[in-house]
Amino acid sequence: MGRIKQRGKAGAAKAYITRSMAVKKLQCSLADFRRLCILKGIFPREPRSRKRANKGSSAPTSFYYTKDIAYLAHEPVLKKLREHKAFAKKLSRALGRGEWSVAKSLEENKPMYRLDHIIKERYPTFIDAVRDIDDALCMIFLFASLPSTSRVSATLIENCSRLAAEWQLYVMHSHALRKVFLSIKGVYYQAEVMDQTVTWLVPYQFTQHIPTDVDVRVMLTFLELYQTLLGFVFFKLYTDVGLVYPPPLDTKKDEAGAGVGAFSLQEAKTMQSAVSKSKTVEVDGKRVSSKDVRQTIKTIVTAEAADGDINMPASDSVPMDEDDEEFVSQPSKTHPEEASTLPTLKSLSALSQSGPLKLFAPYTFWLSRETSRPVFEFLVRSFGGRIGWPASSGSGSPFDETDETITHVIIDRPLVERPNESEEERERRLRRKHVQPQWIVDCINAGKILLEEPYLQGKTLPPHLSPFGDHVGAYDPAAGLTGEDVEMEQEGSDESGEEQDEEGSEAEEEEEEVQPEKAALKAAAAAEDEAALRAAELEAEAAGVDFGTFEKEARKAQKKTKKAEAKQVDEAEEDMNKMMMSNKQKKLYERMKYGEKKRAAERQNLEEKRKVIEKEKRRKNKA
Amino acid sequence: MQSEDEGEDSDDESDDGDYEPFPEIDPSSDSEDEEEDDNEDDEDEGEDEEDVSENDTEDEIKIGPRPKNIISDITGQPKRVYPEIDPDYDSDSSTEDTPNRVGDIPMHWYDDLPHIGYDINGKKVLRPARGDELDKFLETVEDPSAWTSAFDTNAQMDRPLTAEELDIIRRLQENENPDASYDPYEPTIEWFTGKGKEEVMPLSAAPEPKRRWVPSKWEKQKVMKIVRAIRQGRIVPNKPKTASAQPQFYAIWNEEPSTHPAPLPAPKPRLPTHAESYNPPEEYLPTPEERAQWEATEKEDRERDFLPQKYSALRLVPAYQQFIQERFSRQLDLYLAPRVQRVKLRIDPNSLVPKLPSPSSLKPFPVYKSLQVPHAGQRVRCVSVSPDGAWVVSGDESGVVRMWEVTIGKEVKRWTFPGKIGSVEWCPRTDVSFFVVGMEEKLHFIIPPNLPVSILIATQTLLAPANLPPPPSVPSPVKWVSMAASASTSDAPILSLDLPSSSGQAKQIVWHRRGDYLATVSSGENQAAVWIHQISRRHSQAPFKKVKGSVQLVLFHPTKPHFFVATQRFVRMYNLAEQKLLKTLQSGIRWISSMDVHPSGDHLIVGGYDRKLCWFDLELSDKPYKVLRYHSRALRSVHFHPTYPLFASSSDDGSIQIFHARVYNDLMTNPLIVPLKILRGHAVKDGLGVLQIRWCARQPWLVSAGADGEVAVWCS
Repeated sequence: MGRIKQRGKAGAAKAYITRSMAVKKLQCSLADFRRLCILKGIFPREPRSRKRANKGSSAPTSFYYTKDIAYLAHEPVLKKLREHKAFAKKLSRALGRGEWSVAKSLEENKPMYRLDHIIKERYPTFIDAVRDIDDALCMIFLFASLPSTSRVSATLIENCSRLAAEWQLYVMHSHALRKVFLSIKGVYYQAEVMDQTVTWLVPYQFTQHIPTDVDVRVMLTFLELYQTLLGFVFFKLYTDVGLVYPPPLDTKKDEAGAGVGAFSLQEAKTMQSAVSKSKTVEVDGKRVSSKDVRQTIKTIVTAEAADGDINMPASDSVPMDEDDEEFVSQPSKTHPEEASTLPTLKSLSALSQSGPLKLFAPYTFWLSRETSRPVFEFLVRSFGGRIGWPASSGSGSPFDETDETITHVIIDRPLVERPNESEEERERRLRRKHVQPQWIVDCINAGKILLEEPYLQGKTLPPHLSPFGDHVGAYDPAAGLTGEDVEMEQEGSDESGEEQDEEGSEAEEEEEEVQPEKAALKAAAAAEDEAALRAAELEAEAAGVDFGTFEKEARKAQKKTKKAEAKQVDEAEEDMNKMMMSNKQKKLYERMKYGEKKRAAERQNLEEKRKVIEKEKRRKNKA
Repeated sequence: MQSEDEGEDSDDESDDGDYEPFPEIDPSSDSEDEEEDDNEDDEDEGEDEEDVSENDTEDEIKIGPRPKNIISDITGQPKRVYPEIDPDYDSDSSTEDTPNRVGDIPMHWYDDLPHIGYDINGKKVLRPARGDELDKFLETVEDPSAWTSAFDTNAQMDRPLTAEELDIIRRLQENENPDASYDPYEPTIEWFTGKGKEEVMPLSAAPEPKRRWVPSKWEKQKVMKIVRAIRQGRIVPNKPKTASAQPQFYAIWNEEPSTHPAPLPAPKPRLPTHAESYNPPEEYLPTPEERAQWEATEKEDRERDFLPQKYSALRLVPAYQQFIQERFSRQLDLYLAPRVQRVKLRIDPNSLVPKLPSPSSLKPFPVYKSLQVPHAGQRVRCVSVSPDGAWVVSGDESGVVRMWEVTIGKEVKRWTFPGKIGSVEWCPRTDVSFFVVGMEEKLHFIIPPNLPVSILIATQTLLAPANLPPPPSVPSPVKWVSMAASASTSDAPILSLDLPSSSGQAKQIVWHRRGDYLATVSSGENQAAVWIHQISRRHSQAPFKKVKGSVQLVLFHPTKPHFFVATQRFVRMYNLAEQKLLKTLQSGIRWISSMDVHPSGDHLIVGGYDRKLCWFDLELSDKPYKVLRYHSRALRSVHFHPTYPLFASSSDDGSIQIFHARVYNDLMTNPLIVPLKILRGHAVKDGLGVLQIRWCARQPWLVSAGADGEVAVWCS
């Protein structure tokens, strides 16, 4: 005989723990528990049977894995939180007693927790971390745009904006940006870092205010984690490309509103020394391994690229051509011709990506005052372009408006007559192309330079579509209407007004009057047996249709009806087969069908709307 | 005696003057103290003084009998002698003015007596006169000592408090010790310490340890360690710890990752679609109705959290008001929402529909209504097809039974009964031909017209034999009344059975396949609902003494001596030969309405009022092999075709569903059930649709009786 099983000692009752039980077990406050859950990434689980997990009670609670909570109990952060609680008591007592020196020393020895181990635990590999920085970036960019209040300290916001700038610098440096979307919520960016797509949303440049129904504590806890995570991720990203992290900040420039330009990317010294060491080896042994060559080339190239892209004032034109030549400059002495033909990793990647990555390299842009500088500076520079801006948008513009190299002006205001314009200004205006900001974004998404014509200043812009697309089978606004629809459209527009009647089923008689031939043919189609067919033939003759055409039409129509019938029969059979499905399958089937139907209805709705809009347009054009 | 001791004591003192610095504590000295506190004090004060002065001080303070110092005759030493105590009554002052001698007893015992106790002589002490309230008041006014007087229960009168008592009260009020003689500030008596009592000799002879005066080497080492650390800069004194708490970033991912699998990454939010663009195609803009609908729905129920908007230029796009809320709700999702890993089904929903052979390959089965026989608008409850499949008998609620031809619907004969017809059934035998009509509590056996002579005679001799079989030993309550064979016509029933009164309508008649037995089920609630009648012996019996639940239907097994009984929820299978229960089938139906057994006898279908049809494989299990729910209203009738692999079910929704049901002989293959056709054509009247269906024996034709008063024949 086995041991008697006791209730609540095994299975779901043991595997799950309710939130209040967890708080009691950890002996911390609910707020601390929340903080721990956020930091450690522990979230509630849905047990298969809530009643079984809650020991028979069906009260609404959230459940956690008991093991998760058991791990939490050994968390160093939890210990620090407890210490902090004691510290807060001590501090308040010292303050209450007026013991200022004690309070000061207490404050100096305040218990602080570090999240390094949590980062390492939650993201064992770097790829895991990069995959999960979407939310972190969104939060950092949001907080970088917030005003500092009593709840959100200025240092926090400063740190956020620093992190945001560092990320943008890295993306610009590595040309990782892939897609951009201007939505009503903000600007979506998508970059490809370490083969992971990272998407983040940046609000438009307006002052945001934290609404009252938002719990700031939760957001700040998340932010705490995200700051640490991004710090480590950026450290790795920067050091991997041989840059110093954190990039030094020029305070003067920053105060003048230089934004991203206030930071300067520096090559890591240690990296350089390592390179020089390998060079000496090369000199001594006179034997160069291809690996060494590749490494040196890479470092040099990245250094050049960094110079060219980030410190733009230093180098006027981007040294694009030098990239390829770089390899030839250091041929190996034993097999010169072989080495020269050897494709390097860099050249290969450049071959595949150089097109869209350096999209704006041949152009120089000037930002008009009303466009958002951070957005377009980031976009243009990530794609290799040069950009300048008036002093009112912040300092640090590499050139001024009179620069001769400017090819495009990004302008977002209506066209106005300029009566008192000097000859020089006019000439300059005519030489440059004035495009609206959407052109930049559409070019990036298309991966090529689009025609400026539809985007010129003052023109009605073509619709801006999402580069992320929609689900499969969704309505595609870029595609034209399907052929049949267009034809029907044509007919409808020819007999403008008849269409509605056609759609209405009541108006058959009228229709017959208008098109007796068609009606006769229809009768032929509907005729099932011989007699009816004969009657239809007579009718057609009366209407003045010759026999040959009638026969052809009748056959066609009959075929069609037969097909339709067959389809109907098939459907009826399917319907009948459904009754043999099990209950579970039936439910699943119904759900899937419901979703399908809903999507189809959505699509149809959009298509119909479009048809109406296009008709309206055509009518307008005619008028 | 005491005085003796005292005297001795004092003697001792005077004798051993040298000992005085170490006075002995005598247990008796306590008792002495009680009387002579002051005396002792004096002694301590004047240690050096003589005894004479001691006596003097005694004289000053002592009240009471004075002792005399005399020379003892025996010892020759001076001795203090006290005068004799005269034990007269005056000596005790406490009893001076209390004449009442009752003692400490509750004085209310004397409440209703004129006296309050007895004095020392046994005389009654009379209750002192106590004036009324007014007197009391006046007394308090007149008598100046009234406020310091209290009621003496013993004397039953007010007594002024004495000076000592008042003093005690005052002391209590002022939080002093109530004892007037207590002195809280007595000088300390130094017994062991003080001048002249120092201990000069050490307690132990051990030499003083070195550690008392040599500095510690280990302490020095420890201090030096700290000093060295400070010098080398390892310890920075007064370094603020929080300053170093700035996040220090380093290559955290350089070392080998742990073997633990990474926690599942949180699902990413959905990417924006075209509708979210600041400048979407115009078809994405909501119409006024859509906008109103969006605004009317709750925030949580909205499919999209924004309304598409179109701006002609980027500079016109305002800030998005819900931005922070959306970030916040995303975070709530991240840490509060339970996550469940779901496998997304990427299958065509049509692949879920079972692939069954096409109905067109399973022909023949009835597809259209070939003819319709009206019953004058009355509900046709029952219909039966003759075993040769040529004739149909249908009975309606007005008591009309019609017999007509299947192929053309021509009525041959009509009988009218005075009550509702609950059931009709042809006898399955082919050598005789008759049918039974269940009219209320009666069963009428009717011979159809135009029979061949031989069959007619056989039938007549069967139903109305010339010599009746011997009556059973136990008389049954069912009466068999038959007409004489010679007098019988097809107009009137040749044989009638009167079921016991109050057994209710005979709602079902079933024949055994041999045609000798028939079972009837009456709608009555009592036990006598089921009867089995034997034609040859003209005998009826109730097979069940007691049945659990009300019997709905019964059925004979086609090949074995088994008998099915359907109660409301269960179907029980009995062996009639052994008279025992074989199994109970649990259908899961709330209320069984119809039942039929497959001609092979291994399968049973049961229909219920809760729209379900259960297929039981009797070899397999007590539970249904398949449960189908396809009718939208209650099932009314189910029937297996006797020869074709077909069965049909009819329902209150006015439709008849035809199935192909192929049953295999080997036990491994499941029966194949294919829905073939839905026959519609009966109207639903008063919530009732098709009440009964029957197959024609040799054709795949179906006869159905509807509540709309029509009987229809469906042909292939």
